[in-house]
Amino acid sequence: MLLCVSAANPPAPELWEEMLDALDAVSPLIEDVRPGLAFLDMHGIAGDARAQIAQTQGISIRFGSAMQIGAGPNKIAAQAAAYVGDGTICEPGLERALLAPLPLTLLEIEPETIERLRLLGIEKLRDLARLPYGPFTRRFGAAAASWHELARGIDRRSFIPRAHAVAIEASIFGEGRVTDETQVFFALRMLLARICTDLERCGKRAGALRLAVELEDAGTCGFDLPLATPTAHERTLFEMLRVKLENATFTAAIVGLRLQALQLEEGGEAQTLFCADDLDPQRVAVTLARLEAVLGGGVARAKTREAYLLEERFFYEPFKLSRTTQQCHQPELIPQLRLLEVREIPVELRAGEPATVNRQTVRECTGPWRIAERWHSSNLALGGVIPSPSTPLGVNSVEGRDEYDVVLEDGTFARIYHQGSHWYLRGVYE
Amino acid sequence: MPAAAAVPSLCHPDAEPVEAAAGVESKGRRESFELLKARLAAKPVTLPVEAVVPTAVPELDALLGGGLPVGTISTLEGETGCWSLAAGLVATITRRSLVAILDDGSLYPPALAETGISLERVLVVPARRALAMARAADILLRSRICRLVLMPAVALRDAVWERLAKLAHRSGVLLIVVAARAAAALSAVAAVRLHCALIRVIVHGRRGLWGTLAGFELGINVRKHKHMMAGGSVRVRVAHVALR
Repeated sequence: MLLCVSAANPPAPELWEEMLDALDAVSPLIEDVRPGLAFLDMHGIAGDARAQIAQTQGISIRFGSAMQIGAGPNKIAAQAAAYVGDGTICEPGLERALLAPLPLTLLEIEPETIERLRLLGIEKLRDLARLPYGPFTRRFGAAAASWHELARGIDRRSFIPRAHAVAIEASIFGEGRVTDETQVFFALRMLLARICTDLERCGKRAGALRLAVELEDAGTCGFDLPLATPTAHERTLFEMLRVKLENATFTAAIVGLRLQALQLEEGGEAQTLFCADDLDPQRVAVTLARLEAVLGGGVARAKTREAYLLEERFFYEPFKLSRTTQQCHQPELIPQLRLLEVREIPVELRAGEPATVNRQTVRECTGPWRIAERWHSSNLALGGVIPSPSTPLGVNSVEGRDEYDVVLEDGTFARIYHQGSHWYLRGVYE
Repeated sequence: MPAAAAVPSLCHPDAEPVEAAAGVESKGRRESFELLKARLAAKPVTLPVEAVVPTAVPELDALLGGGLPVGTISTLEGETGCWSLAAGLVATITRRSLVAILDDGSLYPPALAETGISLERVLVVPARRALAMARAADILLRSRICRLVLMPAVALRDAVWERLAKLAHRSGVLLIVVAARAAAALSAVAAVRLHCALIRVIVHGRRGLWGTLAGFELGINVRKHKHMMAGGSVRVRVAHVALR
C-alpha cells in the first residue's frame, strides 16, 4: 500500500523538506514528487492503512499546513484517494471505480491537451478509459498510452525514493587560543581535508560552505560562502575560505572552528569534448570569492526585463558560470546610455520644448515620451491626450515623467526628463 | 654626420632599405624622416589573429592590423562614442569568452544587450572607488578568467598603471580603459590609444515627438599604436541599423 500526501496550496520548499524529514518516522521510503505532493511506501510496515494515515496526519498537523492523505495500491490510486477526501482508502481492485468520476487534471496533462480532449467530449477519467486504446494513442502520441493506463487504474511508474540529506561537517575545538592566522589556516586545512574526504566518499560536491568561528569571549562569527560551481576540490575550497577570511577581524581569540558543506550535489563535473575555450570553473569560483572579499559585494551578472522606467529595465543577480551555449548576434554599434546619478538641472523652454539645458543651447531635441506606470488606472489616459509638461502630474498619485533626448552645443548627447515642475539629467549617451 | 645616416636607426625591421631615402639628402633630415614615416604608414601591417581582439568595426580593424592587441592596455578617449565602441568589442568577445566590466554605477545593461552582448558572459564588478577598481582589475588580470577587462578611467598613481600594464602583458588579457581624457601615466603605458570625436548626430524622423535621436557619426583617430604608425582615422556610424 502507498500513502499519498497532497496539499492544495504547495508549502514553501524549506517547510516541505522539514515535513518530509519528519515523515521519515512513518516510512523510510518517500518519493518527493514536488512541494505539496509525496508518496510513502508502506509495504512491510506494521499497522493497517487507517492507523498509518492517522499517524501521517498527526505529523502534517504539526507543520500547520492542510494536507490531504489517501491510501491506495499504486500511486495513481493513492493520489485519487487523497483527491477524493482526506483519509480515503482505495482497496486493491477498486482503482478504476474510484478514478472514473474524477477529472482529467489528476493525470497532470498539459492544459492545451485537456482542452482538446474536452472539445472531443472527454471530461472525466471514465470517458478516457472507455476510448479505444489503439486509435487514442495513435492520435495523441506515446504519452497517451500512459494516460489511458492510468485512467484504468494501472500505474507502471517506478517509485523513486528521495535521497536523504547527508550532513557533512567537521569541527575542531582546542584547549588553547589561536591568535595567529597561520594557525587558523592550518586548522582549516585539517577540517577541509576531512570534509573533502567525506564528500568524495558520498560522491557529492558542495555548493556552499558555512564556517562558524567560536571566540574566547563566547561570541561567534559565521561566514557563508556560496560557490559559483559546486566542487569537492580541497585546494579550491581552501583558497575561497582564505580569501573570505582575509578581511575579517575578530573581537577575541579564536577557540573553535566548525565547517559545514551545504547544498550538496551529485558528484562528477560536466566536461565537454571540445574544451579549448572552456573556462576552469574552479578558477572562476576562486576569482569571484576573491573579488567578493576585496570589494565587499558580490560579482553580478545583468538580466533585462520589460519595464517602463529605464532604471527598472534590468536587474542584477549573482554571477554563475553558465555552460549553455547561446545564439550570439552580429555585434552592432549602438549608442550606449550611461546612467548618471540623478540630479536636477536648469532647463529653459521655448515653444514647449527644451531650448537650453544646463545653460547650453540645445542643438537637437526629440521627445517627449510620457513614462507613467499604471497609466491605465489614471485619468492620464482619458481622451488619449498627452498633457503638456506644465500640467502637474501625480493626479491620482500616478508618478509620470516626460523624457527627452537632447544634443547640446558641446556635443553632449543626453537623456533628460521632466517630472512635476523639475528637470533632471538621467544619463548621457557615450 | 650626414642627415640621412641617422635614418636607419629609426627604421622598422620590415621596411625597405632606406638607401632610397639617401637620394633626398638635400631635402633635409625632417623631410627624409617624413618620407620614411609615409612609407611605413603605407605598408599594411597585419598582426596574428590570436594576438588581437576585433573591434566590430572592420574599417578600424584594418587600420589597427586586425584589432586591439591582447596583453596590453588600450584606451578609448573622447566625450562621445567610447562606450559604444567598447560595447562592440565586448560583444565580439562574449561569443566565446568572459568579459569583466568594472561598474561605477552607470552601466545600462539593456543597451549592452542590444549591441549583441551575451550578458550571461559578462561579470559586472561593482567598484565605485579608484582603489577598489585598481584592486578588482588586479585580481581579474591575474586570474586570466576573462579575455577583456573594461573599466572607466580613474585617478591612480603612475606605478599602479604600470603594474596593471605588466599584469595585462603577463596574463595576455586586454585591459580597456575608457576616459574622456587620458592622464599622462595612462597614456604612457597604453599600447593603443583611440580617440573618438562626434562628427554629426543622426536624427531619424522629425524634430520633437515624432523624431528619434538615432545615434551619431564618429571619427575615430589612432593616436598611438605600439606596433605600427599612428595617425590613421575612420568614420563610423553608431546607430541602430533600422534607423540609419
